[in-house]
Amino acid sequence: MGASIPQLLVNGVALGAAYALIALGFVLVINAVGVVMAGGFVAVTITEYLTPWANDNLPDLAFIGPRASAVGLGLVILPLTMVVMAVLGLLFSALAYAPLRHRPPVSVFISTIAVGLILQHGANAVFGPEPRVGPPLVVDGNFALGPITLSIQQLSVIFAAGCLITGTGLLLSRSQLGRQLRAVAQDPEMAEAIGISAGHCIAITFALAVALAGSAGMLLSNQFFVAPSDGGLFMLKAYIAVTVGGWGRLDGAAFAALLIGVFEVMMAAFVSYVMAEALLYAGVLLVLLVRPSGLLRETIQRRT
Amino acid sequence: MKAGSLRNVGIMAALLIAPVAFALSAGGYEQRIMTLAGIYAIAVLGYQLIFGRLGALSLAQGSFFGIGAYTTGLLGIHLDWAFPASFLASLIIPAAIACIIAIPVLRLESHYFALATLGISQIALLVGVNWTEGTGGANGLYGVPPLRILGTALDSSEAMLVVVWCVLASAVLAFSCLVKGRAAHRLTLLREAPEAAVTAGIDIGARRLSLFVASAAFGGAAGALQAHSIGVVSPAVLEFQVMVSILAMTVIGGRGHPAGAILGAVLLVHLPEWFRFLEAHYLVAYGAALLVAVIIMPEGLAGLFRRWLVTQERWAPEPPRTSKPEVPTTLAVLHLVGLCKRYGGVVALDNVSITVVPGEILGLIGPNGSGKSTLINVASGLQTLDAGEIRLGNLDLTGMPAHGRARVGLSRTFQTPVQALGLSPLESVLAACPAGLDERRAERHAAACLSAAGLTAPAVPTTSLSPAEARRLDLARALASGPAVLLLDEPAAGLTPAERDDLACCLKHLTDSGLGLLLVDHTMDFLLPLADRVICLATGSVVAEGPPSMVARDPAAIAAYFGEPPP
Repeated sequence: MGASIPQLLVNGVALGAAYALIALGFVLVINAVGVVMAGGFVAVTITEYLTPWANDNLPDLAFIGPRASAVGLGLVILPLTMVVMAVLGLLFSALAYAPLRHRPPVSVFISTIAVGLILQHGANAVFGPEPRVGPPLVVDGNFALGPITLSIQQLSVIFAAGCLITGTGLLLSRSQLGRQLRAVAQDPEMAEAIGISAGHCIAITFALAVALAGSAGMLLSNQFFVAPSDGGLFMLKAYIAVTVGGWGRLDGAAFAALLIGVFEVMMAAFVSYVMAEALLYAGVLLVLLVRPSGLLRETIQRRT
Repeated sequence: MKAGSLRNVGIMAALLIAPVAFALSAGGYEQRIMTLAGIYAIAVLGYQLIFGRLGALSLAQGSFFGIGAYTTGLLGIHLDWAFPASFLASLIIPAAIACIIAIPVLRLESHYFALATLGISQIALLVGVNWTEGTGGANGLYGVPPLRILGTALDSSEAMLVVVWCVLASAVLAFSCLVKGRAAHRLTLLREAPEAAVTAGIDIGARRLSLFVASAAFGGAAGALQAHSIGVVSPAVLEFQVMVSILAMTVIGGRGHPAGAILGAVLLVHLPEWFRFLEAHYLVAYGAALLVAVIIMPEGLAGLFRRWLVTQERWAPEPPRTSKPEVPTTLAVLHLVGLCKRYGGVVALDNVSITVVPGEILGLIGPNGSGKSTLINVASGLQTLDAGEIRLGNLDLTGMPAHGRARVGLSRTFQTPVQALGLSPLESVLAACPAGLDERRAERHAAACLSAAGLTAPAVPTTSLSPAEARRLDLARALASGPAVLLLDEPAAGLTPAERDDLACCLKHLTDSGLGLLLVDHTMDFLLPLADRVICLATGSVVAEGPPSMVARDPAAIAAYFGEPPP
């Protein structure tokens, strides 16, 4: 394939880090409302439209000048995308979750798919269906480290994803908002009893989750030649990461996502893309056969 | 036949005939759409078994559909198999595959089960797309022969429509046979109160296997008809989109009733047609319609007609009054020998040995965390034992699954009983009656258990039971399997003094027939007068044992509750 092992490793980690961002969003929503946000992939899809559009139009809007000079524009687009996606997350919570909060999880599962369909095909109608390439995060080009050449874009993707993951972790563990979100996730009634609005916290969780998935879409939009219709495939990988990593565990999901990314890139390079996919699913079945509740233990324990 | 079932048959017949009549009068295009609706309805019926009735979120139903289509395609094109044979094969092969994958997959819980079935369906898709010599790869298989019955090729759209809806009618019949009467109640109990169900002797593994295999056969049948109807099999039949459609039809139509399968399939197959005038935006409208449907119809389309559709016979207003249960109490001694159970570093049970003899009430006391609930959980088989032995009479129950223990006569109640709200109290108890009883005897037995448990006003929905009545229902259900020994986990918690006295009286009465009771409770003025013997547990070990009055004065028991007295 021509790529060296370190470079492949970096590619794999970058892909895995993007999966991890999507998976983190899933875990947040799962903990808060017990539902897989199946339509959440639309966040990835829409950023695949949004970031090339922003890349083309933002310099004009801001009078920065022609596109060629816009080095580092990606660094502006990333937070902007996340803000737009957070608003979309609020929409998700209001349309797909709020009307159904007393219903079984599978109803919400379907309703998120429905909202996903509406948003995806709405975006399709606005932006047109052809796949486009987004901006690099900082700058294109390679970075030589002795005999090894690494892509700057991939390294910056890993760095940005690392920052976002750490930031999410700190937000949840250290901030008052994070404590409130976790309180609602553990016991919404008790949280309400001590004055936390479960409704608001759940809406914020959705916003955060969709923003994280959107950031993954932005980070992927430059390198991986993703068509908007590939959002579903990303969500599938994130779902695998969430489940294999131990339902409801942030660290487990992130860890499993990295494994999946590296596995996929390595297998695709040395065997074939199809075998990479097939072996991934076979591997998942094997993991479930040996450890029926994921690689790491679930944190939530039931009582009889 | 009861009036309710008669009306049910009438409605189902109307639902099966009306769409066909409409399509026949509407012309060729509508006939093809309605044929597709009929095909999907068959797959949805199968999915209702595993997902709607049993509550297991399988994501492999779309793949069984695809495998059925490929089976028909491959056999028809390469081996010239004709309709009845290739159709049967399209039922059997998905069912056989379901049997094989059931071994690793069926023991998984909820989302792990969903992921495993999703993984399997992705592998099926990869095989379909990439096994070019066999499946034709991305191009698929062309020229699937039309349906042929008695030498006549049924290649007109009218004929296909009628055949598909006839198969759908037989599928509805098969569905009704699989989940009628007590079988349906057992599934509801398994879905809504799984722990209560397995400790009432219902084998969850066997139900899952049979329904998973049946759902695969339904899916395969639908796929086979699809292959005949369009003459082409492409990998699109294995794509996840098929599964999402089936799931959406099940939720929109209604999860448990065959009417829901038909209504959901007819509606969702037609929706894109109705929105076709929107051209490129029709999927936006489709999504919006799906969202509105989920929001405004909690129980799906079938729920709108719930008043007329009887899934299960409701509570009979006046239960037949009999005093004697149909299943006599067998007399057996329960031996719990040297039980040990650890959670990580915490020792919950440390070499505990207890014997319960027929007709006695053995009280088990101890402070919180002393291992009382763990003892009941390991004895009833909900938790595994680290060491020790459990015997009932001369049967060894140590390695037996929870449902097996209930069947041989060891039953339990729960500290916080979970009720199946979809069942009336009588149906809950019926679900727990031994399978050997016929319907009439089971109904008499269930009524006797309810009155033995003191549930005197049972003609109410389960949702409106008071906490005390819910405990009585839990007790009745535990009695239904005909136990020799009954384990009661804090049955008096949360009861008023009057309700407690009532319960004491009822429990005393139960032991008359030789039933042995192991009674865990904190309320001393309830337990001490009632128990024949009392055992006190503290930090996983027996610290005192004897007549109630002695244990109440025992220094070790007092220390366990109040701490060491000052020297």
